[in-house]
Amino acid sequence: MPNPSPARMHDFEVVTNEKIADGIFSLVILAPRLASALKPGQFVNVRVPGDASELLRIPLSYVAADPQAGTVEIWYAVVGNGTQRMSEWKPGFKSDLLGPGGHGWCVPEDASRVLVVGGGIGVPPVLCLARDLAAAGVAVDACVGAATADKLVGVEDFEALGCGTVRVATDDGSAGSCGFCTDPAAELLAAGGYDYVATCGPGVMMSKVAQAAADAGVYCEASLERMMSCGFGACSTCNVETTSGMQGACMCGPVFDASKVVVW
Amino acid sequence: MSQVNMAVDFGGVKMKNPINTASGTFGQGWQFSELMDVSQLGAITTKGCAAEPWPGNPAPRMTEVRGGMMNSVGLQNPGVEAFARDYGPWLDELTGKGTQVICQVAGHSTEEYVRALEMFDELCPWAAGFEINVSCPNIAAGGAACGSTPDGAAEVMRACRKVTDRPLFVKMAPVRIPEISRALEAEGADGLTVINSIPGMAIDVHTRRSKLSKPTGGLSGPLCHPIAVRMVWEAANAVDIPVCGVGGVMTGEDAAEFILAGACCVSVGMASFVEPDASVRILRELEEWAESQGVRDINELIGAFEC
Repeated sequence: MPNPSPARMHDFEVVTNEKIADGIFSLVILAPRLASALKPGQFVNVRVPGDASELLRIPLSYVAADPQAGTVEIWYAVVGNGTQRMSEWKPGFKSDLLGPGGHGWCVPEDASRVLVVGGGIGVPPVLCLARDLAAAGVAVDACVGAATADKLVGVEDFEALGCGTVRVATDDGSAGSCGFCTDPAAELLAAGGYDYVATCGPGVMMSKVAQAAADAGVYCEASLERMMSCGFGACSTCNVETTSGMQGACMCGPVFDASKVVVW
Repeated sequence: MSQVNMAVDFGGVKMKNPINTASGTFGQGWQFSELMDVSQLGAITTKGCAAEPWPGNPAPRMTEVRGGMMNSVGLQNPGVEAFARDYGPWLDELTGKGTQVICQVAGHSTEEYVRALEMFDELCPWAAGFEINVSCPNIAAGGAACGSTPDGAAEVMRACRKVTDRPLFVKMAPVRIPEISRALEAEGADGLTVINSIPGMAIDVHTRRSKLSKPTGGLSGPLCHPIAVRMVWEAANAVDIPVCGVGGVMTGEDAAEFILAGACCVSVGMASFVEPDASVRILRELEEWAESQGVRDINELIGAFEC
């Protein structure tokens, strides 16, 4: 029998829930057992009550877990009715989630210099990883992208790590360079020196980062998003086409070896 | 312990209670092993499996709709050999704890159903019975293409009946229920599973594309429940073999509706995605309902609907 998902049911209580950018919120929840169990790149599947016609949970990455305080911070974009209801949660609100889901980043143990590339709401899982790596003394460069300056998240957090270059790109040039963050990522990769690349964002962005990493001969992992029914390996809906066949994002991912992803 | 006898006989599969799981919503059971006590259930029905591995459909395979969901998984499966090898030991152990295992059989043609069933019969001695899926809406050949007419369904059943003496059930398409039920009973089916997901469509009007990788998908969840109850009632009135009710069961009362409409057992589907241990809660609620009806045996309530 394969190993069941590490996900377990956790009740949680909202500590804070604040807007941090245009359409993006930071949610801090109290869930002590979860805070001790999460590893960068894993996800949680959150129940968002309030509308009996919307039943499925919402799978979300996390950006920080504090085992001492028992808290977990999640950044989410308001994209539909469920995340709209989440944005109205007040401190003290209670719900439950399933987590941690799947497996996270697998950075080579001897990596000394790493590039992370995050686009839009794909920033949290790579920022989460960057914090862990920086704390372990690894040099981390970051490329951060968003549609506009108003929608950018994580730039100050990467800069605060103080362990590498931070490059910013926006589609309209309202912050950093004009264009996609794949351009600075390709430049940095071409200059060489990296042992590992981690990326999360729109599929087309990740595929370009993966190609640039492959061109530079650097191992790259990508965190993929799929529509998900259960989040623990039972429904076969969150499939990712890989060179090893169809694999569920919830169990075989959400972090995949980028060189094995066939359809982004 | 319930005051009411909850044990039922689903076409030769002796279930300690009427709660089963809908194929495709419960994996092969082990996925739930850390999230609930699977052995509390009367039975589980495993995800459909064919003789050879199938890759299933491209992404996206799922979209949420009001009151339910639509899927286009396309019966991704590892093939019976890998199924039996990888999941058999755990399922065997589950049967030892008193929960029956019904294995769903997939195919693109009568020959493929027969081949898969032969393999199941040989490799899965622990299986209490088999459910032939002649109603998957998400595959190009086989599935609903076989099971949407009395003749098509009968042909598959006739061929499969020769393969095994163990209980054989048929997962039915949500069409022509009375006629197809009678055709299946005539060919020796031991029971009917009513209904599979209902073909539907969901279009993203901004991109003008299907919200799934195919134009249509299978609709399931609570919005299907009243349709499923009606079809269970039609099947139960048409035949003498037992019926398993499937479709949008979220509570014990939903399960009770199926029982009253004539189902001998009830499968929990989408609810297990939302709340992994929903099936156990639904069992408790069903027991409470049966007690509230003042009966000593849940079998007294099967088909006890009055108009």
